[in-house]
Order: sequence, then C-alpha cells, then structure tokens
Amino acid sequence: MNLADPTKIHLAKDLVHTRPLVSCRFDARGRFVFAGSEDCTVQRWDLATGARVALTAHESWVHALASSPDGETILTGGCDGRLIWWPATAAAPTPIRTIEAHRGWVNAIAVNKEGTLVATCGNDRMVRLWSMADGSLIQELPGHPKVVYQVAFEAGGRYLVSADINGLIIQWDVLVRKEARRLDAAKLSKYDAGQGVDYGGVRDMAFSADGSLLACSGLIEASNPLGAVSNPAMVLIDWKAGKELRLQRPKEDIKGVAWGVRSHPDGFFVAVSGGTTGGVLLFFKPDQINEFFKFAMPNTGRGLDLHPDGVRLATAHHDGHVRIWAMKAKPTA
Amino acid sequence: MRDQHRAAWLLCVIAALFAGRSAAADTPLHERIDRAIEAGRDGRLAAPATDGEFVRRVHLDLTGMIPTATEARAFLDDPSPYKREKLIDRLLDSPEFARRMQVVFDVMLMERRPATHVPATEWEGFLLDAFSENRPLDQVAREILSADGADPAHRGPARFALDREGDPNLMTRDVGRLFLGRDMQCAQCHDHVLYDDYKQAHYYGLFAFFNRSYLVQDAKGIATLGEKAEGDVTFKSVFKKKITNTTGPRVLYAEPVAEPAVAKGQEYWVAPAEKVRAVPRYSRRAQLAKSVVSAKVPEFNRNLANRLWAIMMGRGIVHPLDLHTAENPPSHPELLEMLARELAAMGFDGRKFLRELALTRTYARSSEPPPGLSPEDGSPARFAVAVLKPLSPEQFSWSVMQATGIVAATRAAVERTLFTVDPKLTQLMQLDDKRRRFGRRLVESAVYDGLKGNSGPFIAQFGRAAGQSQDAQDASVHQALFLSNGQPVLSWLDGLAGRLATIADASAMVDELYLSVLTRRPMPDEREEAIKYLAAKPSAKAQAVHELAWALLTSTEFRFNH
Amino acid sequence: MRCDYSCRSDDHVLSRRGFLGGLAGLGLASGFGSFVNPSAAAAMAKGQKQMLVIWLAGGSSQLETWDPKPKTETGGPFRAIDTSVPGIQICELLPQTARHMHRMALVRGVNTHENDHGKGQYLMHTGRAQAPGAEFPHLGSLAARFLAKGTEPLPGYIHITPGGGGVGGKEAAYLGPKYGALYLGNGAPPANTARAGSTTPASDASRHDLRRHMNDRFANRRRTAETEAYTTTYEQALQLMERREVFDVTREPAREQERYGSHDFGRHCLLARRLLESDATFVQVTHSNYDTHNENFAFHLEQLGEFDQGFSTLLDDLAQRGRLDSTLVVVMSEFGRTPTINYLYGRDHWGTAWSIALAGCGIKGGTVVGKTNAKGTEVVDRQVGAGHLFHTYLKAVGLDPKDDYEVDGRSVQIADPTASPITELLA
Repeated sequence: MNLADPTKIHLAKDLVHTRPLVSCRFDARGRFVFAGSEDCTVQRWDLATGARVALTAHESWVHALASSPDGETILTGGCDGRLIWWPATAAAPTPIRTIEAHRGWVNAIAVNKEGTLVATCGNDRMVRLWSMADGSLIQELPGHPKVVYQVAFEAGGRYLVSADINGLIIQWDVLVRKEARRLDAAKLSKYDAGQGVDYGGVRDMAFSADGSLLACSGLIEASNPLGAVSNPAMVLIDWKAGKELRLQRPKEDIKGVAWGVRSHPDGFFVAVSGGTTGGVLLFFKPDQINEFFKFAMPNTGRGLDLHPDGVRLATAHHDGHVRIWAMKAKPTA
Repeated sequence: MRDQHRAAWLLCVIAALFAGRSAAADTPLHERIDRAIEAGRDGRLAAPATDGEFVRRVHLDLTGMIPTATEARAFLDDPSPYKREKLIDRLLDSPEFARRMQVVFDVMLMERRPATHVPATEWEGFLLDAFSENRPLDQVAREILSADGADPAHRGPARFALDREGDPNLMTRDVGRLFLGRDMQCAQCHDHVLYDDYKQAHYYGLFAFFNRSYLVQDAKGIATLGEKAEGDVTFKSVFKKKITNTTGPRVLYAEPVAEPAVAKGQEYWVAPAEKVRAVPRYSRRAQLAKSVVSAKVPEFNRNLANRLWAIMMGRGIVHPLDLHTAENPPSHPELLEMLARELAAMGFDGRKFLRELALTRTYARSSEPPPGLSPEDGSPARFAVAVLKPLSPEQFSWSVMQATGIVAATRAAVERTLFTVDPKLTQLMQLDDKRRRFGRRLVESAVYDGLKGNSGPFIAQFGRAAGQSQDAQDASVHQALFLSNGQPVLSWLDGLAGRLATIADASAMVDELYLSVLTRRPMPDEREEAIKYLAAKPSAKAQAVHELAWALLTSTEFRFNH
Repeated sequence: MRCDYSCRSDDHVLSRRGFLGGLAGLGLASGFGSFVNPSAAAAMAKGQKQMLVIWLAGGSSQLETWDPKPKTETGGPFRAIDTSVPGIQICELLPQTARHMHRMALVRGVNTHENDHGKGQYLMHTGRAQAPGAEFPHLGSLAARFLAKGTEPLPGYIHITPGGGGVGGKEAAYLGPKYGALYLGNGAPPANTARAGSTTPASDASRHDLRRHMNDRFANRRRTAETEAYTTTYEQALQLMERREVFDVTREPAREQERYGSHDFGRHCLLARRLLESDATFVQVTHSNYDTHNENFAFHLEQLGEFDQGFSTLLDDLAQRGRLDSTLVVVMSEFGRTPTINYLYGRDHWGTAWSIALAGCGIKGGTVVGKTNAKGTEVVDRQVGAGHLFHTYLKAVGLDPKDDYEVDGRSVQIADPTASPITELLA
C-alpha cells in the first residue's frame, strides 16, 4: 500500500506572501511551512490555520532552511552569511542564536538525524560543521574549489555529502572529519567559454529512503546560461558503488533548472523545475530515465519540500505563493 | 555667406560654356582637357611619364593590375609612336577593363557593405554585364536607382537599396553623395552651417523619394522594397523649432515632382500586409531615377564626370568627391562643366570618356615634380604633376599576384583546361571576332573567380570599414606585418624566386625581376647592386632572389600607382 | 553664421578655409589622417596621457557594483560595504576595489535611453547615438589619433578580448583603419608579429635594407605624407616584432601572475599593465559576460570576483608605479541592468539609471556624481548621458572635446556638440 499517488496531485492550500519566495521547508513535525523571501524575511505559515508570521533578522535573502529532528528549532542561512537558530513554534519567533557562518551566502543547511550536528555550505567554498547545541564550530571542511551549493547527511549519519557548482561531490566522514571519497555529477555543470561563466552544478540532493541512492538535481543542455536555456535533470548515484546510475530527464523539452529534489518513502523521487517553461513537478522512478508523471504549476518553482506525512509537498514560487500540494485523490465535497 | 565666391565661380562657368561651344567642333576632347589644365601653367608641368610608368599606370587604371613582364617588355620594345594609343584601345577592349570597372563601381557604390539581402555575385554580375556591353552610364544609374528587387531575374542592381536596408536616411545620404556629389548628412537637422548651398530642404526633398519605402521580407526571407501610399515629409530646423516645413520629392534645385491625386480607397495595387510587398498606385520612389538622372539636374552629370576623372587622375576636380559646394569649388570649373557636358553629349559612353582621359598629356605626366617646382604649382589640384595613387586593395592584391606569376599560372591552367582538352572548342573560339572576344571573357572570368578569394586578406588589411568612403586609404602597421610575415605573400614570392633562380645569367634574371614587379628594367646602378647582392649569397640564390623581390614588392614604388 | 550651439560659427569656418588652403599648399593627399588641428597638437605635446577602459560586456548591474540598494525590493541579496572613502559604499562583491575608492569617481546618474546591446555599445564607445549613415570613431580610435605621438611601437588602440583577435577598422570610422582597434584575442599577440620560419633575422634585416634603399631612390622628389606613412609602417612593424614579448604575460614572475588571478580576466589585466608600461596609448580589456537575464546574482558573484581581483591589482600597480596620474581608467558597459528582479533571478537591459566608474588621470578621486532614487528606478540628481561621459573622458586626458578636426576635407567636432563634460569629476 503506497502512501501517495502523485497522479492525483492537487492544490491543498495556497499560502500567499507579497514578495517573491526563494525557498521553503516544513518543520520536522509538519506543523508549519517556512519560506525565504526576496524581502529578506522568512515567512512561517501555520498549516492548520494558515496564520502567517515573519521571521526578521537576516540582512539578506534566505535560501537555506532546516529543521531539527524534533521540529522545535528552525535554522536559517542567509545571503548575509549568517546562520540563525529560531524557536520553530513561538508565536513571534526571535533568534536564539546568530553566528557568522560563511563569507557570502549560506547556500544550504543539513542537520543529522540525531539532531546534534549542523552542516552548512556557502559561496566561500567552505563546508562547516557546527554544534547544534551551542553553535560552536566543530570542523571546517575545505576542498571544494568553487561555490558549494548543497549539503546532506547520509541516512546512517556517518557521512556528509557536499556538492558544488561544478558538480563535484565530496563525501566527508563525520566521525574522523575527513574527506572519504569523491563522487561525480559534473554532467549537471558546464563552463560556457563564450560567456565566460560556470553554470549548473548540484542544486539539491536527496538520499533514497533505503539509503542506496543519491539523487542530485540540476540542469543539462545549458546552451545559453545567461539566457536561461537549459533542461532540468537529475544524476542518480549508486551510493555503494559511488558511480552514476543514470541521468534522468524529462521526456519533453522543459526549459528550466531542477532546483529541488526529495525522495519519497514509496521509492520515487520528486523534483521541482523552474525556468522559462514555468514551474513543473517531475516524478521519477529510479529505474527509468524519464519521469512517470509530471505536473505543471501556475508559477515557476524555486523550492521544494516533502511533508513528513509523505502526502503533501510544498513549493515556493516567484509569485510569492507557497503552494501545498496533496498527492492523493481530492476529497469529494 | 560668401557671395563673391559663388559669383566668381558662376562667371567661370558661363565663360566656359561659351568658350566650350566654339572650340568643341573639331578639337578632340583630350586636347581640350589638356589645354584647360595647361592654361596659365607656362610650362610649369612635370615631364611626360616614361613608357614604363605609363604602361604600369594604364594597366592599373584600366585593368586593375600591373602588366606581366612579357607585356611590359613588349610595350617597352615597341618602336611605334602610336603604341600608347594602341595600348589604351587594347585594354579598353579587354574583359579585364569591364572587370576593373565592376570592382571600381562596386566599391564606390557599396563601400564594402556586407551582402545581406542580395548575393554579391548578382550585383557584380549586373555591373560586369553593364560594363562588358558598355551600357550608357546614365542607364546604369537609372537601373540602380529604380531597382526594388521585385523582379527575381534582376535583383542585382537592387543591392544598392536593399543592402542599405532601404533606410530612408541612408538612401538620402548615399544617393546624395554617390549620384549627386553632395554629402548632405549634416543638413539633416538644419541648413548646413558650413556650406550655404546644402539646404535642409535639399536633404528632405531627396528623403521624400524614400520616406514611404521600407524593406519587406516575404515568407522565404527574400527582401524587396515595399512602399506605402501615404506619409508626408515635414522637417524643422533645430535652430528654428517653431517653423515646420513640408516637402514632396525634389532633387536639389529642380522643380518639385508633380504628384497626382489618388482617389481614396484606390491607393494601392497591393495593400500593405505582413510579409507582403505593398505597391501603391502612385510610387514616389519610382520618380527617383528619372528625377535624379535628368537633364534638369546638372549635378548628376558633374558628379559622374568628376568621379570618372578621379579614377584616372587620382583626385577629383572637385575633391572630396562628395563635397560639391560653392565653398569647395572645383579646381578647374570650366573643365568640369565641359566634361559634364561632353559626357552627356557622348551618350554617357563610359569607355569613350575614359579613353579621352587616358589620351591626355595630363594623364601621361610623370609623378615626379620637375626640379624647382613650387609647392603651389605642384599641388595635386593643379594636375601639373601626376598624383601618386595608392593601389586599392584589389589593385594591390592582383598586382602582387601578377608580379609573382600567380595570375599567369592560373591563366595558363584555365586555358589548358578550356582549350587543350577540347581542340574543337579552341577552333570554334577562333572563328570570328565575336567568338574570340567570348573566349577571352571566358578565360578572364575563370581566372578572376579562381583568384578573387586571395584579395580577401588584402581588403581586410588595406580597405576601409564597411559603409565608409573607400576613396582614401590609410597605412597601418598591420599591413606592413602582413606583407613582411604573412603567408600568402611569402609563399607567392617563393614561387617567383624559384622560377627566377633558374635563369643562369644574373643580369637577365635581374631584368626579369624588375619587369615582373616594377614593370621596368633596372637602372644600371640598380642592376649592379642587385647582381652584387646575389653574388654575396652564392649558396642561397633563391633566398637572395626572394629577398630582392620582397624589397621591390614592399617598396613605395610598388605600393603606389605613380 | 546662424548656428551657435555646435559649430561655433565664424572661426570654425575660417579655420576650415585655412585648412583647405593649407592642405593644398602642403601637397598633402586627403584622407591620410594628417591632422592639423593646432590645439590638439598642443595637447599632444604636453606629455603622454594614456587610457585604460575595462569593458564589462553584456551590461553589468549597477546594483551589484557601484550603486547598491541593499534591503530594498530591487536590491537583491548582496549587501553594501564601506570603502576607503567614508560615506561611499559599493557592493560587497567588490571588496578589493573598495580600497581604491579615494582614487575613483562614480557616476551614478547615467541615463542613456538605450536598452539594445549593439546600440548601447556604439553609444558608449563613441559618445553618440547610432544613426543610419553616420559613423563616429570609438574613444580608442580618438585616443590613437589625438593622444598618440604616432611613433610608438605599439598600435594606438589595443583591445584585449576573450574572443577572437585581429585587426578591426570599423571602430575608427572615417579616421581610417590605422586608428582602428587591434584585438588581442584571449591576449594572444597580434598576427604576423613573429618572423616567418623561412626568414632568418639576418635575411630580414638585409631585405629591409634593400627596401629602404629602393624607397630612397623613389622618394627623391616624390616624398609625400602618404609615402612617408607607408614606409613608417615597416619601421613600426620591426619595432613591434622586436617587442613581441610584451604580449607574453608568462614572462611575469609567478607571484605577479598569482596576484592578478588564475583566470583570463586577471591575465588580461596583467597584459594591460605590460602594454601600458610599454607606452600603449589606449588599452581596453573586455570582461565577458554580464548579460545576466538569468541568475544575475550567481553570475555577478563569479564575474565580479574575477573583476575585483584583476582590476584592483591593476589599479594598485598603476598607482604604485606612478602611472595612474597620467592614465585615465574607465569601467563601463553598454548599459546597466533592471532594478526589477525577474522570475529567473535575472536582471534585464536597463539604460535608464545606471553607473560607471572612473579613476586616474584628471579625475577627482573619492567623488560620487549623480544619484538614483531609493529603488534605483530613476535618476534623481545630475542625470548624464553617454555624450557627457565622453566629453569628460576627453577633458580628463587634456583634449578639448569641442575641438574640430578635419577628415577628408570635412570638419567634425570630436565629441557630441549637444553634450558637455561633467566638471565635478575633473580634478
């Protein structure tokens, strides 16, 4: 019996802010959804009531969001380089702790399943490990030659992966705090010599529920980076072998970037694409190149999260909406 | 305002008109030209050019490249007192003359604009045909000015307008410059502040022929000029913003074009639509050719005569060529009037007109001023000394190819393929004059098509930018680097040096080298120096010949038509 | 005369007539670029001025460079940082450049009314709007003509580009190709500057001797400006070949190369320094590309990271080596980018309210002229166009932008007659 049926997906809730959104995240208990906005706030909606509260402490946009496993703490990482701890459920949250985590943007945050370690990565090419409890720096992990876009803990919790704009993935052994191996998702990246720019890279990562696969989302066919010409794609990595299993891409020509990817307990992956084609949700089974289902949304997608219930998805949009989707039949009225 | 200037000029013109009439009857034109140039010079003139200078000059001007060593030798050794006239007639009759005119008029009229809407070959074919059959130049002008590209079989002449995107301002400027000798660009916004006779009304009078026209591309992307039935031209001076003027089509001082009234709803044969060439019942643009090329527009004749003069003499009687104005009077006003009149009188026969110029003493003067000539007397505008003309990029590349034997080798190969392979064809080609002429054209075309690509780097190095006047040239370090170290020239020189090095007698070899490159025999001291140079490098004869040949090829003497 | 705004009437006409007379008297052929303007000649005699233009191709964002609007609707995610001049802040992407603000001037009120790449490039390079039938010379061509002495071994207008190299020509318009740009494609030395393999130095020297000998004979009584210009080019070619190593940045110590950065733009800045130190009159370095319709912020982060390192190091060196006082530095683009951030995190073309930066020769350091509103959507103080900037550049290097010069017998004012210099910027 599957939890979800993506083919029945429908809009369950439409949450609206006045300014464009860049990221979204459920807390681990699934009571709230948080979204970073271009107005430098993080917006929090109560999923039950729809009540909205702004978290205002960042000096810049917040792309990086993470929840503690108990859902009590929300971490936000801003383009101001700050990492902030917030009480997730407070009526009017104010920062518990603020640290200067990176020079430049904090691009992603990951928390281990015990809720003891926080990993961050940023434009300063650095990966850092922090203590969840007191915010102290545990380890600095240099190694990426370019901007680091994403971090994720592997299911067992021993390893951390970080991925950069060139599609280089470094697997770190958290126990000994050292590089363990390198993985390759360079297919998602290209240097455009004509425009003189690096483009692409790993925009998001998700381990499959059983920990055997690592999905890396991003783009391919970037024939004109500055003009937003590319197709969303995923590099699926066989975790044990440390090798690419396959490149997954939409059947039809969708122009955009797969900004986010989540793994579903039912064994599929869902990715959100945003770009000139608009916002599209793409559902992939690990053994197939193309999606088994796709769903066009009313606005370009910028962020994606999966609710702990395994049924709901949140997407963040340029039009200021967080859309909550339910992957099940619409209840009859 | 300089009324006295204009008055003086007008007087000269009137005097010339009367003088011209009495003298015209029996004195040949070339003689009358010489008299006009020599009047008042009291012998302060350069000596006649040597045979070597003359044969090189006239080949360059009439065929676009220097002669071969063989041609040069034959001319130099010809004892006939009429050999110059014979040479002129032979060259004017050659297919190379039509080719030279094709290139001159292409560069003059298109100014190296890229061929976007009409392939260059169609335009060049149009020009080549026109000059091959010696079509009257007024007719050629009318064909160019009336072409809109609508007739698929005759799109060549439409390149003038289409590769200017039919832009009304650009057309106004360039028809003014190239057909009327007046760059009125600066009169676009107000009466010209320097040239009192460049009126804003002149600019917009010409503009009114074009303002309703536009470039349209059909579904296949083929461009033509369409035209709307409406659109009036009004203009204001930026200095007198309160006064708005209106004008219909009008060429300079000529009467405005009388425009018919067209009944409402009857404006179009083909109404404007997307990707459709609109055709109005009354077309303003269709009035252009007959309005510009008209007996009522003396500026047209003057401009054409002046431009033909400049091809031969190296500068215009009015110079710059597109600055006919009272403020920049002709150096010889009466002569210009006479030339304009005679050109029309001979039915705009370009070949005949150029022949007269080539026959003048003025054309055949040395470029070396006589000792003691004052700078004033030696000024180019006097035409008392031949003007040094830098070779055009095309003349330069073809002359380098001629000097190094590339042209001759290609011609030999072409003739071999055309005639040796099929002896019947050879016989057929010799049957009569017409066929012989056809055979010569065939060979010339094959040689030209085979080698014209070699001109590309020369045009890139020596030409001016697209859309700029190509009348003047500039020297740059990149040209020198190209000629010093660039591959095409060095490998051609290797070929030449290799061939010359097989001539055992050093003196004969130096003769051949000088005739090949400089179209003359060496002076005794030059011969001696060259022989000495070669003797000093006995183990590397070809290399030494290469060095000598390079020095001749890069010398000022070669760079200029002198 | 009637006109009083551009052509400065009677003396203009008189000088023109004088010119025509003089031309005839001198026996100069027209079009060979012989300039006879007395005040320009005087300016040239004053001591060599040089120019460096950094061209941020595609249109860099004023908001991510010189006119940040942090924490506003249009400001984007980057913050503003302090500079060496109290009160002046620039975008945090330029920390090294910020150290130089006391040497620099910012023009924050540029409105060029132009959102097209080609037309914007033309406008910013010539100081005039593009119009059919009229072509005007680039700044580099004017510098080559009016700042250069004409005897320098290096061509007057050198443009280092990431793309292909070669000789331009169109840039010079009617000044003639001699003043056109020489493009050093990806910093490679110009074509034909190396002796062909078949030519030994001895053979080269002896063929040139032969050539000179030939010329002496021919020019005996036929020496003109044109023959002189032609023969001079060979001497320039020889000098250029001799100094070919100036184009080779790998001759710099590794430490120097490191300072400029291990990217093309850094290498090109180092090359620019070598060229300026070899008395090149005008060097332009193009950094490509800033046309960030998509992911403006990520791309500016990458591009400006390179720019900040290369540019600030170059300014450091020019200043320390005493060249900045005689070298005008301009950082510009064809236009800026929209304050509105589009749905692709991009910014689009925007000529309405943007900025350029200046430094060095003739420029008052630590100056900001012009102001945009809070969201950067409009110029609210001291609006200037490309014409004003052009006048300012010329004035800064000691040329009178209102001077006329003669081309093919015609008189043209150097800079757009309807504009004037931004005097507040001038030292």
